[in-house]
Amino acid sequence: MLAPLFATQSLAAEKIFTIGPLTITNSMLMGLIGGAFVLAFFGAAAKATQLWPKSRFTFYVETFVELIFDMMEETFGDRKKTMRHFPLLITLFVFVLAANLSGLLPGFETIKLSVDGSYVSLFRSWTTDLNSTLAIAVLALTTVHVYAIRDIGPGGYFRHFFSGSLKNPINIFIGLNELFGEILRLVTLSLRLFGVIYGGEALLFAIATLAGNFGWAATLPIMFLEIFVCLVQAYLFMMLTASYIAMSTSHGEESESHSVPLNAAGKA
Amino acid sequence: MNHVDPAFIKGLTIGLGAIGPAIGVGLVGSAVVGAVGRNPEIQGKILSTAFIMIGLVDAVFAFVLLILFTT
Repeated sequence: MLAPLFATQSLAAEKIFTIGPLTITNSMLMGLIGGAFVLAFFGAAAKATQLWPKSRFTFYVETFVELIFDMMEETFGDRKKTMRHFPLLITLFVFVLAANLSGLLPGFETIKLSVDGSYVSLFRSWTTDLNSTLAIAVLALTTVHVYAIRDIGPGGYFRHFFSGSLKNPINIFIGLNELFGEILRLVTLSLRLFGVIYGGEALLFAIATLAGNFGWAATLPIMFLEIFVCLVQAYLFMMLTASYIAMSTSHGEESESHSVPLNAAGKA
Repeated sequence: MNHVDPAFIKGLTIGLGAIGPAIGVGLVGSAVVGAVGRNPEIQGKILSTAFIMIGLVDAVFAFVLLILFTT
């Protein structure tokens, strides 16, 4: 019973049209729309911002940005460092959140388009395509490594993996293990985001089909769960990137820099 | 074992795959309740860490759903 149901929703994003040699898939289209939406939303807020915000919209956006900034400051434990990495991190959070939540809008997977004789859905949320999540994970991890080399130098970067005397084979083995861990980070970061969002949407689809005429009632609790999961995954993506940056740009005293904000909060 | 019903395999996938994440979320939950009981003044910090952990554990279950719905 389930097999014909999911034949409609393929794992890969479908092609909707081509511009020259470039194939535009439905998830790419949604990524562009999502990016434009986020840009317009925050651009409008930035335009209206002033010392005493008069518009309520700007006030809420500023509060939100402040909240994320405080979280990041706790992770980095250093205001200057936070200021430098904050733009990338909040962009990751907001864009991934917009992409995740867009899959819950009406019209997704229901508006179909006829391409090359088969019907494909016009919209597909950006994070339900492994290519997109892999791309954003590559972006995040490249930033981590570039900043690591810039902050602690190539020697320190090398020492980050291969610490201690290199004559000892166990240190080389540990270093290789660490390098493998870096690759694994890429896989887990991309696959987690993709798996959670795709799995959630497939779950919604299955529940709606199984419930038949009462799909609207049956999907409501799952929908709230999905909103929560989308938020957590976007937050997790930003938080993991932040902690990777914080870990790889510190001069080997990670445990110290991590314990400082905790102690400060404990005293307060 | 020449022919196994795919529905049976799917049921086993979700049934066995849900055990691990369920235990994981339970452990996170019990640790959070304990930690908030000990020092309620840093509840916000504990909760944000807990959400990260729940997200990490939840991903395992998402992989189960992924395998279930795509095969």
